[in-house]
Amino acid sequence: MSLKAFHILFIALSVLLSIVLSALALYQFTLGGSGLNLVWAVTGIGSAIGLIVYGVRFLRKLRDVSFL
Amino acid sequence: MEIPYTATARPDTGLYNGKLGIWLFLASEVMLFGALFSSYILLRVGAPVWPHGSELLNVPLATINTVVLISSSVTMVMSWASLMMKDFSKYRMYMGFTILLSFVFLVIKYFEYTSKFSHDIFPSTSTFYAIYFTMTGLHGLHVIGGIVVNAYLWGPGNKMWKSDPQRFTNRVEIAGLYWHFVDLVWIFLFPVLYLL
Amino acid sequence: MSERTKKGSGGEGTGAESAPVHHDDHHHEASFWRTYVFSTDHKVIGIQYGVTALLFLLFGFTLMMLMRWQLAYPGQAFPLQWLADLLGPDRMPDGIMLPEFYNQLGAMHGTIMVFLGVVPLAVGAFGNYVMPLQIGAPDMAFPKLNMASYWVYFAGGVTMLVSFFVPGGAANSGWTSYAPLSVIATTGQTVWLLGMVLLITSSLLGSVNFIVTIIQLRAEGLTFMRLPFFVWAQFVTSFLLLLAFPPLEAAGVLQLMDRLAGTSFFLPSGLVVSGVPLDVAGGGSPLLWQHLFWFLAHPEVYVLILPAMGIVAEVIANNTRKPLWGYKSIVYATVFLGFMSFIVWAHHMFLTGMGTTISTFFQTTTMIISVPSIVILTALLLSLWGGSIRFNTPMLFALSFLPMFGIGGLTGLPLGLAPPDIHLHDTYYVIGHFHYVVAPGTLMALFAGVYYWYPKVTGRTMNESLGKIHFWGSFIFLNGVFMPMFIQGLAGVSRRLYDGGQIYAHAQEVLYLNEVMSVSSWLLGLAQIPFIINFFMSVRKGKKAEANHWQATTLDWSATTSPPLAHGNFETVPHVHRGPYEYSVPGAKRDFLPQDQRAEA
Repeated sequence: MSLKAFHILFIALSVLLSIVLSALALYQFTLGGSGLNLVWAVTGIGSAIGLIVYGVRFLRKLRDVSFL
Repeated sequence: MEIPYTATARPDTGLYNGKLGIWLFLASEVMLFGALFSSYILLRVGAPVWPHGSELLNVPLATINTVVLISSSVTMVMSWASLMMKDFSKYRMYMGFTILLSFVFLVIKYFEYTSKFSHDIFPSTSTFYAIYFTMTGLHGLHVIGGIVVNAYLWGPGNKMWKSDPQRFTNRVEIAGLYWHFVDLVWIFLFPVLYLL
Repeated sequence: MSERTKKGSGGEGTGAESAPVHHDDHHHEASFWRTYVFSTDHKVIGIQYGVTALLFLLFGFTLMMLMRWQLAYPGQAFPLQWLADLLGPDRMPDGIMLPEFYNQLGAMHGTIMVFLGVVPLAVGAFGNYVMPLQIGAPDMAFPKLNMASYWVYFAGGVTMLVSFFVPGGAANSGWTSYAPLSVIATTGQTVWLLGMVLLITSSLLGSVNFIVTIIQLRAEGLTFMRLPFFVWAQFVTSFLLLLAFPPLEAAGVLQLMDRLAGTSFFLPSGLVVSGVPLDVAGGGSPLLWQHLFWFLAHPEVYVLILPAMGIVAEVIANNTRKPLWGYKSIVYATVFLGFMSFIVWAHHMFLTGMGTTISTFFQTTTMIISVPSIVILTALLLSLWGGSIRFNTPMLFALSFLPMFGIGGLTGLPLGLAPPDIHLHDTYYVIGHFHYVVAPGTLMALFAGVYYWYPKVTGRTMNESLGKIHFWGSFIFLNGVFMPMFIQGLAGVSRRLYDGGQIYAHAQEVLYLNEVMSVSSWLLGLAQIPFIINFFMSVRKGKKAEANHWQATTLDWSATTSPPLAHGNFETVPHVHRGPYEYSVPGAKRDFLPQDQRAEA
């Protein structure tokens, strides 16, 4: 597996981490947490979207590099 | 006689020696951290009470560190991509950023540790802190190892770009694979220790 | 990864030594240090590993011979006054061994034999020397890592030796270092842990190198199913080392933290030592150590045995002048064995109260893993059938491996089932069982390997008569040492007893065997003298060997000189045309067809 493939895997897992983070914050908000939790949740979603956009652009840029 | 496939891939395996080597090394690293994560689970399951990491540890600092490490992975892969595009000065820049970001990580980690020590919190305080210090400490050692390798490739090791660009690009890829692994460990450590 | 650059040295097949990184231009003789000490040539490193490991084997054996005095004649003064004086009053006041020293000897005997003796000899020496030759490679894939692997191993060995001289002596909690005893033990345990970290690092470097070499550097035409079985054995062994050792490294780090930073990973709450409650946070799990330890140590058993099987397969195929019986089944069995060895570890822990469900799982996997071992052993046994066997020294050793490993394996079955294990656990039966696997089993195979490849390494043969004396002495006295252990164990005598069981009523009937075993062990020591003489004398005085001394088919014999060329091994890159064991092919001119020989017209 080349660095390209590993990087995509890494970004995918980072996206997953962001989503889990924001889900956790949202859960704490529904339990009666502060508004800060909501800010965390939105930030998490935001960074997940940002990472996905980056990942797609990365794949386009390295179109010619092998995954192997 | 030269050792074959140090720079070019062997046709039937599709790999050059170094890439196979680093993946095998990472496999053993997975077993190392896997054993530590398993120990964490076993100790936690066996404990009558287990504290919430978010109540004892500094989550904002750790979040910043997570962002720092993810960014450093991005700059790492960019430095490799720059070499693929034959742009050596961009490689130097991105690799420099990677090293800088790893130092930022260590500095933040240093403040995290010392604030714990100043509150008389040590590994011996409780099993939670014991596993926290052991795992983040071992991860920190891996970060230091990464800095050493990356600094070599940024500085004295880059002479190889003139003599054997293919092998130099391979070396950067190998360092990148290692660096991604170190960051990936953090991606697992962060929620497990700080959030759950 | 550090590979070698050889710019400037051009394409010559010989000579040019790879000097330190930037000075690659000298074509002439390299310095003494580069050639013999810090060499990157896999052959030199193999010899370094071999000699060091043999010395450690002798040292570990000496520790055991000392212990056997105490077991046979507990409380009596040691007859060799000068040795007792040398060891000093901290260890042997008035020539009588202290219990603390006995425990150190026990722990260090196990550690040295396994981690510094047998594995470095089987993998580091034979693997390093023979494997690249058998696959037609000029060297290992990463020669500098190979050198680092040896020197880290050497440092680990020195660390272990140094531990005898720290206050309180060497580690004394057994080679298993069970917690919590090991956590509260003397300083020697810390040194032991540091030594283990070095040894683990060394084997990690080695195993990565082996796997990459086997996958990447095979000669053209050498497909996986044409590999000599020895290479397969090294391949699977390397995977076991690569994946099983890191958990022990993790465990070692945790125990170091417990000992140095005051954590309680392995210390339960409310631990009282000598009537005083221990001042630690507690909350740890002693069983965690056992799980992490055996996760390594069970695959380690196969690390000890697989290379030995590889050697035996080579020697048997060569001396029966027949192909191995069931080559493919042996290979598949070995790979399966490798996988299974990761899920049997808790059969060492039936008595820890882990519950019947988990016990059942591990009993089942244990019974399953015995199948591939039996497949391999049966195939080796069947290979003998119908062959006109040459009974030379290596063949005698290889043949003795079959029944000895058979005894070792079969006596393991009752231990793998929880009900009989309740009776046999921690008795001399266990000691007998695993020593039969490792000593009369693996060690005999390793001796076979020494006699078999000696002509390749030195260009001279070892003396056959001395070899046969060595064989019969070792064979008889090894059994004299280990067979009585089964009897004592079945009678219920526990292992690790300082007085050999004297104070126990149930041991009285079998106590006389202690003397039998001890005398056997000392005679076994004497039986090694012909080997030592033979080993050193033959370097200069042995009969000159031909390149293909045993008329073998594999590349190590057929395509190289004896000894092979420094740095590069082969004059021309060999090309492989056939399987590894084409002996006595009907219609062929000779009774062996080397792998690199084209089809006969």
